[in-house]
Amino acid sequence: MTPPGALIEASALRKAYGPTPALDGADFSIHPGEVVAVMGPSGSGKSTLLHCLAGIIGPDSGTIRYDGRDLTVLRDGERSALRRAEFGFVFQFGQLVPELTCAENVALPLRLNGVRRTEAERQAQEWLERLEVDEVAGKRPGEVSGGQGQRVAVARALVSRPRVVFADEPTGALDSLNGERVMDLLTDAARASGTAVVLVTHEARVAAYSDREVVVRDGVAREVAAAA
Amino acid sequence: MSAYGTGRRASWVRDLAMGVRFAAGGGREGWIRTALTALGVGLGVVLLLGAASVPHIMENRQQRSDARLPAGSSAQPAPSARTLVVTATDTTYRGDHISGLTLRPDGPAPARPPGVAEVPGPGEMVVSPALKDLLGSPEGALLRERLPFKTVGTIGAPGLRGPGELVYYAGRTAFPAGHTGDRITGFGQNTGTDPMPPLLVLLIIVACVVLLMPVAIFIATAVRFGGERRDRRLAALRLVGADSAMARRMAAGEALFGALCGLALGGALFLALRQLAGLVTVWDINAFPADVTPVPALAALVLTAVPVLAVAVTFVALRGVAIEPLGVVRNAEGRRRRLWWRLPLPFAGAALLLLSGGPQADGTLPHTNWITGGAVLFLIGITVLLPWLVEAAVARLRGGPVPWQLATRRLQLSSGAAVRAVSGITVAVAGAIALQLFFAAVQGEFVWSTGQDSGRAQLDVSLPAKDVATLRRMTGEFRATQGVRGVIATINGTAYGPGSQRDEGHIPTTPVTVGDCAALRELAHTGPCRAGDVFVAKEGSGMVVGADAGSSARPGARVVFHIDAATGEPAGRTRPWTVPESAREVRSRPDPMGRPDFGIFATPGALDPAALADPSARALIRVDPRVPDAAEHVRNTAARLDPMADVHALQDFSRDSQFASVRTGLLVGSTVTLALIAASMLVSTLEQLRERRRLLSVLMAFGTRRATLAWSVLWQTAVPVALGLALSVVGGIGLGIVLLRLVGRPVLTWSVIWPPVAAGAALVVLVTALSLPPLWRMMRPDGLRTE
Repeated sequence: MTPPGALIEASALRKAYGPTPALDGADFSIHPGEVVAVMGPSGSGKSTLLHCLAGIIGPDSGTIRYDGRDLTVLRDGERSALRRAEFGFVFQFGQLVPELTCAENVALPLRLNGVRRTEAERQAQEWLERLEVDEVAGKRPGEVSGGQGQRVAVARALVSRPRVVFADEPTGALDSLNGERVMDLLTDAARASGTAVVLVTHEARVAAYSDREVVVRDGVAREVAAAA
Repeated sequence: MSAYGTGRRASWVRDLAMGVRFAAGGGREGWIRTALTALGVGLGVVLLLGAASVPHIMENRQQRSDARLPAGSSAQPAPSARTLVVTATDTTYRGDHISGLTLRPDGPAPARPPGVAEVPGPGEMVVSPALKDLLGSPEGALLRERLPFKTVGTIGAPGLRGPGELVYYAGRTAFPAGHTGDRITGFGQNTGTDPMPPLLVLLIIVACVVLLMPVAIFIATAVRFGGERRDRRLAALRLVGADSAMARRMAAGEALFGALCGLALGGALFLALRQLAGLVTVWDINAFPADVTPVPALAALVLTAVPVLAVAVTFVALRGVAIEPLGVVRNAEGRRRRLWWRLPLPFAGAALLLLSGGPQADGTLPHTNWITGGAVLFLIGITVLLPWLVEAAVARLRGGPVPWQLATRRLQLSSGAAVRAVSGITVAVAGAIALQLFFAAVQGEFVWSTGQDSGRAQLDVSLPAKDVATLRRMTGEFRATQGVRGVIATINGTAYGPGSQRDEGHIPTTPVTVGDCAALRELAHTGPCRAGDVFVAKEGSGMVVGADAGSSARPGARVVFHIDAATGEPAGRTRPWTVPESAREVRSRPDPMGRPDFGIFATPGALDPAALADPSARALIRVDPRVPDAAEHVRNTAARLDPMADVHALQDFSRDSQFASVRTGLLVGSTVTLALIAASMLVSTLEQLRERRRLLSVLMAFGTRRATLAWSVLWQTAVPVALGLALSVVGGIGLGIVLLRLVGRPVLTWSVIWPPVAAGAALVVLVTALSLPPLWRMMRPDGLRTE
């Protein structure tokens, strides 16, 4: 049962890639400012769930409501606008644009939203400082370490002050020390700004940063009872 | 051989073989990369093999053309069982030339033209397959009227220059009055070919270089497809112990495999496409599949050069890449492109060209190898300058909107792939500009004004005629022909005067033109004219050229129209005719053919053309360009009046046939090369997009607008293209000036440089438009899925 006031509320999601079902009646919800970990083994459908919730792909059936709006009926352009304005993303390998500097990468979501370049880069600089990577502002992603790159990616996800950040294995390519630092910075910054975080991971250590855990297995999401 | 040498060779073979295995067994990704490379190389190989076949095609066309020429001699042979009387009855249909020969056998076993099983009987014809198709189609309806023969056979390949050629042989028992024909004993002449002027040889050499350089560049580009993924794979191999040199050799092995697949694919495509050669006509040239056979030496060169090029290009490309054991491959730090070794290349090429000396006073062109080498070096110089130019230019670009920033930053980080995609077009445009400058400067020596005025008349029809009735019938029929707007119809003959030089062997003659007042006004400034008037038309100088004005072309002169050819005396039954005293002397006016008509101009009321010896009728016809097929209707009317009427289309300019052939060849080559460049750019663009598919998906996941990404891709192409075209203008002008200096000609016009630039730009726009649909498909956030 979904608690009232959910920011994202999905029910009975089904999604198949050819004959292979990825989601098979999955339910999910998240509230403003909440950090929810989506766990599960490889191939269980957790990334597909994240992509559906973020409007990146559409489910074959089921409903997804974001702030009261049905995501599944929105057109591609409307979903893009929503992602641009309200969502942020962190992927396993950062997926920074290799030709842009780190500062330009962080400024990119703001610029896509029409913020002027100087203002966008000023805000980007603030976020880089906040995530303790301001020293790499002028470097390209290929010139920084994995941990630094991932923190730049977190800054990029948060710079436009999204209401939800979708993080897909954000520490998957990092060592434990760097992973913990990234998670500290991500969850602290998200909580400070009231941003909800959908955190896809298969590591319990990372899931521990969440308020709530959902396990996806065989395409079905089940909530894990909160630890006492 | 030392053990070291043997070991080194063994390691080369082992590493190359391992690279081949990686490419062959690299899974789906590996096969896609190999397929793209093979496709690119294969297209280039098709073109190279096609180019290597050109000598055979031309040689065979010439041989078959010679083989069907009537075998003649200066003395007419006596009629025999084998002899025939022939006359050429060529015609034109909707701009296509139709070769026709009308045959009248003297005996039962006439010589047969090549490709013809049996000489057609009276009222019959044998036709080429293309003409048969045309005659059998609705499009050939008007032509069927003109060739009212029964088709009894088809001309085989030995009698045709190409499968698309329009040819017929028609049989007759007798020729129409006024046509005698030539008696021949058979078919086949060895015309040989006139030696080409050195200017044209120079032009051909440069054209070959210009057309084939982009092909080589395309092949070099194709073997580097998917380089980024391959480099990541090689980095993994470094991790397990491969050293840097081994990694490079393995990369070369992968490229080698792609090139070999490309050779195989290209060979197969070539064999398949040559079967279609007869179905395609480019600039009036087509060929039999059997003719499209590469010269063995050139084919061997292609088979050898392509794999060698693949390996060499890979090694050169990997110079700037440090393959490290950990992580992705990074470009070597701080390695900027240097100008110092690039700039001298075009200058060295220019120097080599100038040192070749060009055409000599004796009409020879020595040092053709220097010319080839110089042109190649110059264009290679342009090719290697482009990456430096793009790098130097984009390094200065700052700011701008997001698409511009994404594009310029991408080019700043790595412009290699984008530059490679446009280097072919840069070289092609530079070469085309140089050739256009050269063409413009020398074409005056190969193209000349005929003096004909196609504004006053478009067709000139000649046929034998003997009387006023013929003139009236001809005029009436042409005037009644659909689309005809004006007819200048005359009957022409000759008048002979009893001049004072007759005793010295010279007979004073005067042309006689009989036509109505409207026709005569077109040929002379007659002023007022009535039926029954006679004029003596003189040139502006007051002379009647070629005539003894005092004796034969003056009012009151007595002339005869029939003379004894042997004695020059008036023929027995002829009666003298006196130019009326009332005849006015008038100034002649060039006819639409550009010829100044002069002599005695008479209206039919004053002189019956039947009095003339061997008169010929002539009609200069003006047609309405808005009426479709007006010229074809005129030709049909002419054929009705006389099946062997000579119909000539007026042309303001005439071209030297060899020059025209070179120009046609260049147009054919340019068309094929541009098509290849378009394919090359499209494949390169798709390959670049494929490499960046995941990044495009990530950007889409952020909510980036498709238009933003499309514009960034567009800018990423447009910036190198703009720089490439600028470089090609400078380089093309430079090469053009060098070539013209070589032949001692000045630049006559600069305007010719723009069409190649426009063609290049249009090609880029076309390719960009074609790449948008796949770009749209790749711009989906679901590309993030990896499982």
